[in-house]
Amino acid sequence: MRYPARITAGLLIAALLCVWGAFQSYAFESEYQRQNPDPFQISAAFRRLDPVRAAVPDRADMGYLTDVEPGSGMETAMFLAAQYVLAPRLLERNLEHAWILGNFTRPADFAALGKSKSLSLERDFGAGVVLFRREK
Amino acid sequence: MGGLIWIISAVVTGCLSIYCWTDLRAVNPKWARLLLIAGAGAAAGIGLTSCIFFLAGPLLKIPAAAPVLELAILAWAGYQSLRLRSQPEPSPQARSHLSLLLIAGLVVIVGVGIAAFSTAWDLNPQGNWDAWAIWNLRARFLASGSELAARAWSPALGASTHAEYPLLLSSFVARCWYLSQSSSSAVPAATAFVFFLSLIAVVTGGVTVLRGPALGLLAGLALAATPSLLREVPAQYADVPLACYMAAALILVLIDRPLLAGIFAAFAAWTKDEGVLFLVVFLAAIAIVRRNALRTAVAGALPVLLLNAGFKLFLARGNSSLLSASLPGAVHRIFDPSRFATVLSAFGREFVHMSIGWYHPILPLIVLAVALGPDWNKHRREIFLCAAVFLGLLLGDFGVYLVTSNDLAWQLQTSLNRILLQLWPLLVLVVLLCLRTTVEFAAAPSPAAPRARKATKKKR
Repeated sequence: MRYPARITAGLLIAALLCVWGAFQSYAFESEYQRQNPDPFQISAAFRRLDPVRAAVPDRADMGYLTDVEPGSGMETAMFLAAQYVLAPRLLERNLEHAWILGNFTRPADFAALGKSKSLSLERDFGAGVVLFRREK
Repeated sequence: MGGLIWIISAVVTGCLSIYCWTDLRAVNPKWARLLLIAGAGAAAGIGLTSCIFFLAGPLLKIPAAAPVLELAILAWAGYQSLRLRSQPEPSPQARSHLSLLLIAGLVVIVGVGIAAFSTAWDLNPQGNWDAWAIWNLRARFLASGSELAARAWSPALGASTHAEYPLLLSSFVARCWYLSQSSSSAVPAATAFVFFLSLIAVVTGGVTVLRGPALGLLAGLALAATPSLLREVPAQYADVPLACYMAAALILVLIDRPLLAGIFAAFAAWTKDEGVLFLVVFLAAIAIVRRNALRTAVAGALPVLLLNAGFKLFLARGNSSLLSASLPGAVHRIFDPSRFATVLSAFGREFVHMSIGWYHPILPLIVLAVALGPDWNKHRREIFLCAAVFLGLLLGDFGVYLVTSNDLAWQLQTSLNRILLQLWPLLVLVVLLCLRTTVEFAAAPSPAAPRARKATKKKR
């Protein structure tokens, strides 16, 4: 099929624009991804929380204790990342369940911290990950 | 790897089912037919197997029944396809040099897209926030294959996980994880990629059938090069799947397949809440423009619609949706002129921000409009149907922003770019349907013919 030159030119210009746009997007997105690898540290959360998955049964409901300011973006990201890694265990922001996940950003005396909230330290896995049991 | 095999099985089941149980195999040209069957088939396969898994697993508590039923469908569809294959095919038409160039361009763009995705898959394999905080999190509950699956819609998950959202995507990812006994991050990433390819294939094939190969291929090119689409695929959100189902439903009704169109519209509603708005607007537009197709489209939509309604009314009823939470004070917010101005300017700003560098995805469409010129008389009903759906969705989304009780600036900032991405394939369709086809120019004896035709029209 032959088209008038104006039509052929229009179609080719449109196609070339698309190819150019795709290359522009590739350059931008690749650079953006390289500058922001795993921005919410989900892969790191899997490594940090993996021992908790081994220690707590799948069907457990878990409480949650952290030293990050409640309601902050960082607290939400840490909580949701922990929920994602630990699912199907259900994580709730309270201390009412038998198992309590401690998810901390700074070192502290976790045993004393737990005791002040009627929790006993079950295991300290390091990297700020602590498992508490609710004292009966 | 096991999860990827189950994605392939869903895609093959969908493609074979579409091939043997719909009359899409009667569509011409052949390559457009293949694109339509592959694109619609992949999306249908994902939707179908997702629904089967959701019904067999979380609802009936017999998840092991899902692969048995799927394999039965696959075997039956495979057998039917083999029988159909023996029927004679019409001889293929010769392709023009221009078509070959456009095909090469499309291959290059998809290749560039894959290169961009692979960087993201390497560096950010879990996707963006909503992927792991909503869609894949709920997939992890559903994949447990036990009564723990009900946690996917538990109010205890909290408002930020949106346990009331529909489950097509989560249920499909869960199906692959459950059947492969792994929770590989490759599954949601590959699912997003399949939806990207399906969207391109359905739009390219559909516009080719409606407006010829040149415009069909340019529709695919324009879509595949959309910067926000290339950004959202590795994000693993439900917006690309939704865009795929909406575009497919619209194309299928335009090529007179209302039953399939209804099924795809219902899949859209089972993917995201915006899909419910699409279903309503879509059926309303069919009722106005193609009244005789309405009953068939509703019949196609009904099974998945009932599943969605059952989920919303009985399973997820403890969770409040964006709209129900926004009802108190909604009237006051709708008539607040400052909110109206804020939303309007955000729509304009976000549309401009669909660009990357000097490239905006509207540019190739403008070039085509200038080169080909408009023709909205010949296909007025098709154009009206598409434009009505597009404008209905635009107005509906605009209205949701007006009434939302969430912080408006936050709501606009975190979602408007994805709303525009959902609507973008529909806008591409509307624009291309409004243009003259290249075939009209090829038939003209000389380049002067279009001008002569215009002059004749003026005289009339």
